[in-house]
Amino acid sequence: MFKKRFLAVIVFMLVLSVLTGCFGKESSKSNGSSGSNDEVEINVWLTPQWKGVLDASEEGADYDSFFKHAAEEFSAEYKEHKVKINVEVVAGDQRDELLNVNLNGGTPPDIFFESVFAMGDYAHRGALVPLNDIVDDEARSDIAQGYWDNVTFGDDVYFYPFSHNPGTLTYNADMFKAAGLDEYIGDEYEIKTWTLEDYEKILKGLKENLPTDKYSNAYPMGLFALNNQGDTWNLAYLRMFGNKFFDNDGNLIIDDAKGAQAANWLKKIYDDGLTNPGAESVSSNDVNAMFQNQQLAISFTNAILLNNAKADMESGKAPKFDMRLANIPSASGDPLTFTYVTGAAVFDTKDETRIKVSKDFVKFVSTDPELVKASKNGVPIRTSVVEEFEAEKPYFAAYSANDPYMFNFTGNVPGYSQLRQVLYPELQALYTGQKNGEEAMKSYQEKGNKIIEDSKANSVIYKN
Amino acid sequence: MNFKKDSFKENITGYLFIAPQLLLFLIFLVYPIIEGIRLSLFRINYQDEVFIGLENYRRLFSDSVFIQSTINTVIFVVFIVALTVIFALFVASAVFDKNAKYVSFIRGAYYIPVMVSMVVMSMIWSFLLNPANGLIPYVARKMELFSVNFLGDPNWVLPVIIFVTFATNVGQAIILYIASMIGVQKELFEAAEVDGASRMQIIFKIIIPMVKPTTIYIIIMNIIAVLKIFVVIQLLTGGGPNNASTTLMYYLYNNAFKYNELGIASAVGVIMFLITLVLSIPQLRTMFKKN
Repeated sequence: MFKKRFLAVIVFMLVLSVLTGCFGKESSKSNGSSGSNDEVEINVWLTPQWKGVLDASEEGADYDSFFKHAAEEFSAEYKEHKVKINVEVVAGDQRDELLNVNLNGGTPPDIFFESVFAMGDYAHRGALVPLNDIVDDEARSDIAQGYWDNVTFGDDVYFYPFSHNPGTLTYNADMFKAAGLDEYIGDEYEIKTWTLEDYEKILKGLKENLPTDKYSNAYPMGLFALNNQGDTWNLAYLRMFGNKFFDNDGNLIIDDAKGAQAANWLKKIYDDGLTNPGAESVSSNDVNAMFQNQQLAISFTNAILLNNAKADMESGKAPKFDMRLANIPSASGDPLTFTYVTGAAVFDTKDETRIKVSKDFVKFVSTDPELVKASKNGVPIRTSVVEEFEAEKPYFAAYSANDPYMFNFTGNVPGYSQLRQVLYPELQALYTGQKNGEEAMKSYQEKGNKIIEDSKANSVIYKN
Repeated sequence: MNFKKDSFKENITGYLFIAPQLLLFLIFLVYPIIEGIRLSLFRINYQDEVFIGLENYRRLFSDSVFIQSTINTVIFVVFIVALTVIFALFVASAVFDKNAKYVSFIRGAYYIPVMVSMVVMSMIWSFLLNPANGLIPYVARKMELFSVNFLGDPNWVLPVIIFVTFATNVGQAIILYIASMIGVQKELFEAAEVDGASRMQIIFKIIIPMVKPTTIYIIIMNIIAVLKIFVVIQLLTGGGPNNASTTLMYYLYNNAFKYNELGIASAVGVIMFLITLVLSIPQLRTMFKKN
């Protein structure tokens, strides 16, 4: 009897201690704190963007240099509170895992600097606070409306746009010359626009005429569908025959003749050997590496990847060749172009003081005349900065010329992250022959619209 | 009554010794299990938790990817465990009574892959099998032998993962079998020799029955390990092509950390827990029988 009672007491105490440990949360659960001595501590997370404050050539340049420098200046200038800003760089492919774990644990960062397309879901989930109150008329006039549309969910601005990173195709002009395709090569700083017929001729020309002694094991174009990395290019290819992708209510409408035609076109160039083999199990990273090793003549790129590839060639890390840009072609002849807008978002930490300081810091970083110059590492979002660096960065004018053809690839729909997870399995089914273009697009639309519907039900923006 | 009281007093030191372990067990194992079961009954988003009963389970069973993951997991368990046991028995029974140095060499050779991280092994296999720039497809293309995408062909991807996992895990089973076979009484082999038994008869009539407890242990441990197979999927195929190699653990990970569907992920966790529990019963029964 005594034994039973004693054991019961022990078990009760243990359970009590477990529950105390698990439920006895501190009043402020978050990483940072705004506390008694008026020092406000906020956490800034970012994924790797550019190294250095303004330039990668600075001594000790790293991915956190810019925000550390901005934090020092802000702390020195800020009058309302004493501020401590912690800057942390997180890997891009772990972003959602880290954020989900921290959001569920009640410890989100105060600020996250990242591409907007990857973060839009957090606005729909009610994890971010609107930034309308820190956007002034000066910023509105310096930044084109298209970029504001990108960062606006419902009626509110959730990201302060900083720079953008346009996605294009890139080609190896040396391989074009070797295959006798000189006529299709654009100028050094031009983003060449080919018609779809031209593009098909180029792919065939590369397959048939590329000298194998010089370029062994090389293919005309890079194609990938292992996972969701680089899927924006796949989304662009699916628009090649004029499909609009989303309707006005934010639902997928890819399951029509134009969508299926685009899918079948991809399958055809894959079957004809105009792309690398095994697209279903090749990642965008693999394709990028193959292009740098001159195993592909045409690949995908964006402004940052282009800079990195050119830097690798200069430093001798990768073989040197004449790398140029081209637009994704379409049946209509107009180029298909998109961009990743990057900017800072403020998380709803439930602490008014920290939210206020975070917003002030975001405004400081996004408007300070010296700091916004760092946006030249991608493509500046501000017209004033583009004009200042146009002579130094000849690609800026070419990217600006593409603006009229830009499409918003996310449609700012809720559940976009999850939507990405259902596209690549359908492309894999397409490339392995399990489904034809019509079936793959039908299945993608069904699964995708289910995700969008469920996410709309949970979206604070759609509820309001 | 007195006897029980005395017995407890006698054992109190023992109870105190296991108390810290018991506490950790409750915090890190029992509590998460209870919390996992609770979460599986809720729809959870950033702002609130809504009780939805068994809706998560209903959604799971109507999701074709979950069904595919379950089938794939069962296929992995059956084939990997069967291959491991059969191959390990074959190797161990062939070498256990040979020269000690030779046995050590065999043990070492098969055990090295077990010591290497699964991440490293997966990356090496990826380097070998990648259809665009992997070594094996490259050599095959050069020699015009075959053109199969081992990681992208729905018919090949499961056998490839089974082989990679089997090759990495089998060393453990071989070590256990050799140790167990060395422990079998020598008299049995001598008697069999006197009776003129063949090597095959010795293996099937003496060795295999005598190492049965080891076999049960290897089967249960491998089943549990294979149920949780994840790294090789994440690094080699990403669950593809078209979910052909997705497993329950990979499905759980995607839901929990990528889609933030904690309720669904918890429901998958509960189902995996129940499967493991049912599969562990034979081992628990043999353990209790011994006692």
